[in-house]
Amino acid sequence: MTDGDYDYLIKLLALGDSGVGKTTFLYRYTDNKFNPKFITTVGIDFREKRVVYTQTNPNGTTTGKTFKVHLQLWDTAGQERFRSLTTAFFRDAMGFLLMFDLTSQQSFLNVRNWMSQLQANAYCENPDIVLVGNKADLADQREVQEKQAKELADKYGIPYFETSAATGAEVDKSVITLLDLVMKRMEQCVDKPPADSANGNGATKLTDSQSSEKKCAC
Amino acid sequence: MDLSFLQALERERVLEVLQRDKQLRIIEEDRIRRMKYDLQELRRKGAKSFTRQYGERTCARCQRPLGKFWNSGAVCRGCSHRICSRCRVGVGAAEWKCTVCHAYREVKIRSGEWFLEQRALKFAVTTDKFETVGEKLLKTYNVLSHISVVPPTPPPHMEFRFLSRSGDLKYSKPFNKSMEDLMVPAVVQLKKISTSQTDLLRVDDGRRNSSFSTQKSLSDTDINKSKLLFKVPSLPNLFKKNKDSDHEGSSTGAEEETSGGSEYSGGQRGSISSLFENVSISGELELALNYNSKSSCLEITVSACRNLTYGNAKKKKCHPFVKLCVLPEKSGKMKTAVKRYTTDPVFNEVLKYHIERPLLFGKRLQASVWHSGTLKRKVFLGEVLIPLDGWRFEDKIAQRFNWYPLCPKTESPEEGAVEQD
Repeated sequence: MTDGDYDYLIKLLALGDSGVGKTTFLYRYTDNKFNPKFITTVGIDFREKRVVYTQTNPNGTTTGKTFKVHLQLWDTAGQERFRSLTTAFFRDAMGFLLMFDLTSQQSFLNVRNWMSQLQANAYCENPDIVLVGNKADLADQREVQEKQAKELADKYGIPYFETSAATGAEVDKSVITLLDLVMKRMEQCVDKPPADSANGNGATKLTDSQSSEKKCAC
Repeated sequence: MDLSFLQALERERVLEVLQRDKQLRIIEEDRIRRMKYDLQELRRKGAKSFTRQYGERTCARCQRPLGKFWNSGAVCRGCSHRICSRCRVGVGAAEWKCTVCHAYREVKIRSGEWFLEQRALKFAVTTDKFETVGEKLLKTYNVLSHISVVPPTPPPHMEFRFLSRSGDLKYSKPFNKSMEDLMVPAVVQLKKISTSQTDLLRVDDGRRNSSFSTQKSLSDTDINKSKLLFKVPSLPNLFKKNKDSDHEGSSTGAEEETSGGSEYSGGQRGSISSLFENVSISGELELALNYNSKSSCLEITVSACRNLTYGNAKKKKCHPFVKLCVLPEKSGKMKTAVKRYTTDPVFNEVLKYHIERPLLFGKRLQASVWHSGTLKRKVFLGEVLIPLDGWRFEDKIAQRFNWYPLCPKTESPEEGAVEQD
């Protein structure tokens, strides 16, 4: 499926406890299928999808411009023993799907830990994140209330979605929301205030051989 | 970061994923290179030629004259150049940018350069800013794999050359003065030099041959090093390079050293022979490129040249021919027939170069035009460099004939360089 005929390559990454459904979530998103079997992810994996992105103005109206976006969706192992490997991949991702299991209070409590992992390892201090509570279809086993999760998301200032990889509910919407955040951030990054961007741009002009000096220039 | 904590099977699994990632990355790098090449072309369109004075009174993009009161243009916030109303992109009286600044911004977003910039603010860049974790791991565990992936090839020499002198320029100029202001001093110097020593700056055969050999002697480690540094030419380097092309058509190799090759000494320049054999560069070359996947051949149709300069200016004689070779190895040298007494030769020759498609990655086609003089003396009339890995051979448009403006020799650092200051 891969050829160079796209406008943007956007790298997103799913993280969260083991068994919250990261792999099935991504499988649902890319292939629109559901695999109920639990196969633990070995370290790291990724899936791809080509989507058409419609640009919107800040006020939400569309500008009429559409772009072809190639999504590289990194899937990480939730298991502790792969932690050093998976967190290393955080730094190459532009946006994050932080997932927990609505039927597991513990996975929700661990969201805080994942947040601090992100702050430490992602490309910047406040990357674009979407909080995803998965397995919304298992209503009778639910342990985390929507209000609780919403409050946490608000505290971090990130969007929250309750999804189901089994039914496909809200799956697309949560990914597209994240994509939208990343696309907006790209624009902001290059249109920074002049004083700031003067240094910023100056820094990127440096080639790698001068990277040691690069820090001083910023 | 290492994978030693994994079991052998797990490690293999992870490396497989990383190989897949690598393939995606190769496509991406290719796309970025193409994008930056297009940007370069856009800049080239508005190139200033020596017939026009560099000044406030023309639009810096389209070179149309600007009036004093009427259509006087306005200064672009990005590059601080005076731009006519037609060469602006964007909305509102205050928010517009000139076409090149706009394209530069677009490329920065689309190539993911914004991301690398942001990340560099947080993490110190130790090796290659383009390198991903996956890539690093793959390199460490360079296992024999049944998935065959073509490794990234060394960058064109041109970028390598600019790399070595890029530092000081970058630091001395704040960015919003932009890439183009980096050019201005070059123009000033160009004028200065061209009044006095133009003749000395010209390129002669002997020196070119010597520089060929220096290039060949690039060792593997050098190539590896350059590969690391320049898998994808970064935007700023492209702009540096453009300083050359922006003045194309001006006197000779003069623009090369004005673009800032202070560390190269041009001691051997100005030999007696150069006073006789040099010519200025002008004119265009028409080529079409096609890849024949049945025979695994790159087919280059050399169609014609026009407006060449006289190889022998004194006698107004020109016997041009075209030489092709594939860089960086300088492999597949081919020549057309010599056409006599013309500055607008028509060749219509198809030259074939046998190469597997994936191996085109990182290669460039060098098409140079020469005058075949008496006593087998050859005079350089200009050249065109075409990156082959960004070429869309499937694309019907890309297969068409194109006129390429001839450029002065840009290949080797020593050439076209004199000591400055």
